[in-house]
Amino acid sequence: MRYLTWALLLLSASSWADGMVVDKVYHPYVLPYERELEWRLVSRQTDEGNVLAQRFGVGGAISETLSLEVYGVGERDDEGDFGLAAYEAELRWQMVEQGRYWADFGALFEIEKQHKEDNYEITSGLLFEKEFGITSLTVNAFLVYEWGSDIDSEWESEFRAQYRYRLRSAFQPALELYSGEDFVGVGPGFIGLHRYDGQHQLKWEAGFISEVGHGGKDHSFRLALEFEF
Amino acid sequence: MQRLIWILMLLSMPAFAELKEFKLVLKDHLFYPARMEVPSGEKIRLLVHNLDGDPEEFDSFDLNREKVLFPGRINVIYVGPLAPGEYFFFGEFAPDTARGTLVAVPFAEQRL
Repeated sequence: MRYLTWALLLLSASSWADGMVVDKVYHPYVLPYERELEWRLVSRQTDEGNVLAQRFGVGGAISETLSLEVYGVGERDDEGDFGLAAYEAELRWQMVEQGRYWADFGALFEIEKQHKEDNYEITSGLLFEKEFGITSLTVNAFLVYEWGSDIDSEWESEFRAQYRYRLRSAFQPALELYSGEDFVGVGPGFIGLHRYDGQHQLKWEAGFISEVGHGGKDHSFRLALEFEF
Repeated sequence: MQRLIWILMLLSMPAFAELKEFKLVLKDHLFYPARMEVPSGEKIRLLVHNLDGDPEEFDSFDLNREKVLFPGRINVIYVGPLAPGEYFFFGEFAPDTARGTLVAVPFAEQRL
């Protein structure tokens, strides 16, 4: 009941995050023994130009229900130079056994520091997943606090959702929704998995998200590759 | 209002108390039984006893489940409710031998 209450509270909160809202929709599951290398790319095209962000991560399970991943975040600046922009550590917690309750829940905690600048951001959020036959709905609701010497301290929130049709392991179409301050975007997503031997597998995700709240061009392409071993 | 709160509480309570249990054994990288009937239309508890000395990973895209089977432990996997049909599963570390199928059938057709 308290999970349901938290979910309703978070979902009903207004979204007022800024920055790049389109990213990855997290699932509330942790697999013991699993380690992974991850690469994510988001390219956002607006009337003002293109913003590109990439993220390289390495991590894995540290217990039966917890996983830890560290990232280096790279961004292209206004002059077109691409460089390291931030570091990030992310802890994911699988709170319930998959399928045991009405829905599955997890939590995510994240801390980020900007490279060469004394600015920080902490994120905490709820990860939710519910099966509907051969489809799955995944919802992330995040609360973000940022502070530092060069920025104003502020609270933000973000909301992400993915409704996935589990067609085949190698190809699963989805509909994705992202919201933050001045941004509500929807679009198709695609998820797939290629299995090598043993625990070695490559998960890929792609999405084409269009901002629908305003006029003008605002499209994002996202790509994520996770190699699990 | 109080009635509504009670209904919400009941709906969000775990429903595992009445779940039917079905047992699988993993031994020498083989699942026993390799084919098992389970009821369709209801959630079940799959109890997988890993008798091998190594961990295995139960994997099934059909069932939408991935679960590490710790050695020497009875590992619980919640499955369903399933539509009638066949659901393949395998062990990721021994995919050529550790293979099995759950066959979901309506209660009336089940061989008891």
